[in-house]
Amino acid sequence: MQNKPYKPKLLWLQSITCNGNTHSFLNHPDLFSILENFELIHHPTLDSEYTMADVLSKNVPCDILILEGSVIENGFKKAGVEVSSLIHAYAGKAKHIISVGTCATFGGIFKQNNPEEISGLCFDLEEKTQHYEKYASKLISLPGCPVHPRWLSFVLLMLAKNKSIDIDSLHRPKELYGYTVHNGCTRNEYFEWKIDTKNFGHKEGCLFYEQGCQGPYTRGSCNKILWNDTSSKTRVGTPCFGCTEPNFPQQSLFTTKTNMGIPAKIPLGISKRAYLTLTGVTKSFKIKRFSKDLLEYD
Amino acid sequence: MKKLQIKQLIEKIEGEAELDFTFNDGKIEDVKINFGFYRGIEEILRGKTARDALVITPRVCGICNHAHLIAAVRAIEDGYANAGENITLTSKAKDIREFTLICELIQNHIKWLYMTMLPQLESYLDKKSGENYAIKATYLASRITKALAIFAGQWPHSSYAVPGGVTCDPTYVDVMQAQSLVDECIKFFERVVVGLSLDDYLAIDSVSSLHKVDGDFGKLLHLIGDNGMSTIGQSYDKFIVFGDSILSNAGKSIVTNISNVDVKYVSESSQEGSVAKAVTYKNKLFEVGPLARGMVAKTPIVKSLHKNYKDSLLSRVFARVHEVALLLAHSKKLLAKLQLDELSCTLDPHSKLDDFEGVGIVEAARGSLIHKTTVKNGLITNYDIITPTQWNLSHGNETQQGIAIKAMVNSTTIEEATFIFRTFDICSVCTTQ
Amino acid sequence: MNMSEKKAFKRESIMQTALELFSLNGFHKTTIPDIAKKLHISVGSFYNYFTSKDFLAQEIIKYTSEALGEKIRVVNMTDASAQDKIQQIVTIYFTMAEEKPEMIDYFLRVYLSNREVFSENCEGMVCVAGFITEIMIFFDDCVESGELRNQDFFSAFGLFMGYLGGMVFLKGEGVLPKDIELYIDDISRNIYCALKVQE
Repeated sequence: MQNKPYKPKLLWLQSITCNGNTHSFLNHPDLFSILENFELIHHPTLDSEYTMADVLSKNVPCDILILEGSVIENGFKKAGVEVSSLIHAYAGKAKHIISVGTCATFGGIFKQNNPEEISGLCFDLEEKTQHYEKYASKLISLPGCPVHPRWLSFVLLMLAKNKSIDIDSLHRPKELYGYTVHNGCTRNEYFEWKIDTKNFGHKEGCLFYEQGCQGPYTRGSCNKILWNDTSSKTRVGTPCFGCTEPNFPQQSLFTTKTNMGIPAKIPLGISKRAYLTLTGVTKSFKIKRFSKDLLEYD
Repeated sequence: MKKLQIKQLIEKIEGEAELDFTFNDGKIEDVKINFGFYRGIEEILRGKTARDALVITPRVCGICNHAHLIAAVRAIEDGYANAGENITLTSKAKDIREFTLICELIQNHIKWLYMTMLPQLESYLDKKSGENYAIKATYLASRITKALAIFAGQWPHSSYAVPGGVTCDPTYVDVMQAQSLVDECIKFFERVVVGLSLDDYLAIDSVSSLHKVDGDFGKLLHLIGDNGMSTIGQSYDKFIVFGDSILSNAGKSIVTNISNVDVKYVSESSQEGSVAKAVTYKNKLFEVGPLARGMVAKTPIVKSLHKNYKDSLLSRVFARVHEVALLLAHSKKLLAKLQLDELSCTLDPHSKLDDFEGVGIVEAARGSLIHKTTVKNGLITNYDIITPTQWNLSHGNETQQGIAIKAMVNSTTIEEATFIFRTFDICSVCTTQ
Repeated sequence: MNMSEKKAFKRESIMQTALELFSLNGFHKTTIPDIAKKLHISVGSFYNYFTSKDFLAQEIIKYTSEALGEKIRVVNMTDASAQDKIQQIVTIYFTMAEEKPEMIDYFLRVYLSNREVFSENCEGMVCVAGFITEIMIFFDDCVESGELRNQDFFSAFGLFMGYLGGMVFLKGEGVLPKDIELYIDDISRNIYCALKVQE
């Protein structure tokens, strides 16, 4: 009889979270075929081999640790056990650590209530935490509020197949975060010609100039690998709020910050002078096609 | 008389909770419910601009984030109205908001049925079928959230509802896709969940025809009925609903008498030894959620169950799954009547109102969700979020034990009590915002 | 000087001569033969550089705008305070008005008064982008540093450039009692006070 292939043991641990990453991943249409590649040691909602009480003993096996939620060293206990001690026990044991969501990666939204003590596991905003060195060799960051289900499945399947994942300085897979959210946005034509949308609720127009869209300088492939396999914020007229970035969430998310009408932040890697030169030129043309609605219903 | 204290960690309930049971003479006398970590969303909101709440508050909860968005946008719109600037939504914007909210309720109830109720009941009764219920839950949930995302961009954590309407501007291509996803969910509900056509299922109006329910829901009802669990888990028989929706109008039901409510009588108080705040209406405890909505709306089958089994576990479980049918049927109607030629957002983008106070109410999966915002000079100075779970899981007041605690009292085993606890569809994260 | 340098030099001298003639005789009254004659070149040779008078007009506005933009760019690259930068920009503008009055004259009398000449290929800000971009950078930097009050671009731009244009116009009309350089300090301070962050 042939031996069954070894399945990596997967442990999904929650720290300070809203469970958004858990529910995001449950939307994955291929969820169970992906999970077939693993032995599910524990999961917040799915049936798993060990109970939470078992996990609290710090003795259950763990090859891949998925961490959801931001981290506080002291003051968050589950049944008397400091959650941080659980994280360190399993992070030490694991061969791979995946921080899912912006909270686990950079501290995220919940950091704002206690900026001194709450952070991501290996990053505090963009800075490395004291734990970085310990875990750096096995860390993969998947920021996003929440994490995109297909981004997580990509990493899981790459690990299951023993393939290496190319990562950037914040340990984000380049294949997923090499893009900006702007890339693939259906409003790109309006961005090219600097035509802003008149108000919320229109197919036409770009959200970068007035509505606060951070797509051109936010890393993530939201408009390449669509949400719920169907859409994205910008496609439905909602600005990108930069939820994959270390500093998420910032202030005044529905308004573009401008200096004398000039966008304070401009597309990634472009000098302001180059951007403004181009803008001045494109803005001068009145293109008839763009002055009309795409469709009109009678 | 022997007193005994037992601690139990409850998991897979949108986080975890710890229950401290006090047994007296073999029966549960009291339960203390403790939740994990207070995350301080209300504090985080202070000092941010009014509309930032549309992005921040959905992050209270991964499973009912959309309800938080709708409550947040309604709070701002109510604030505008209070300050003299009435916002009139188009029927298009109203219908789209209602549709996406319905989608979230459906995914919640279906996950609860398949990922909590069925596996937990089988395990409690030691009748494990070994069936992969989660695959059924995620099949339906991922489809209905996809329908939601056609309009809202994504689920979880959309922020597509803005003061004056919605950000999306859908086409008929979008509507057709959403319709076909809803149809698929209806088929699934008919074939797998109840084993009946939706019409036949909805025609069931009394306990006497309950036996017609087949499928997995039928299985659950049988497991409850056959194991003598139909009458357990009763609480105070007092229900309250604050939001108007297709499921119910606002109102309260006390021993089947329905009367009006006003959100101004809602008050919150901190509870000793808990990170969750208790909430009362005129200092009285009420149950919120699907059973409350069914009672206030006088839904025939819910009334019939209540007549036979009071506010028991069976009534509570039934009312929640029943909402799936009502919501699926209604969502189809909403899509059919969408007026795409209307404006999506009616608020003038240059309209600027910097000082207001408003309340937003929404019927979320677990019951009434209330947001209160106070804005001065454009910035939030105070934000209050009252979640459904705070009503159902409060410790109680001087004279009465909390709603869920009352339902567990007199149980003889921890296993039975925790199953009763789960019938409230517990959300740990919502309780500890 | 190689061929392309020679050509560029020639091109520039045509523009410079045209500027002087436009300023002296008016834009409409100046013809291509007039310009060719002044330069001692044939009309055919002129057409090797500019295909029409309108095209020449557009190229001149780009040329002046870039010349001005380049000088402001040097100011933008420094760490000077907003107040200093304003003083420097005002100086640049008035010096140009003094040394090359035809350039500013052209901008005010030809570019702004004959929009039909610039309607095609020179829409909006296209031909003055070199100058406008640097003014934008200046505003953006000074708002970012917290020195100037954030507002709409045109409300700030109009105050700054409308003021300078008005002064140069008065100078051209011979109305100013003093040399224009003597106004630099007061005007710079006025502009700074109008645009700075209010306490």
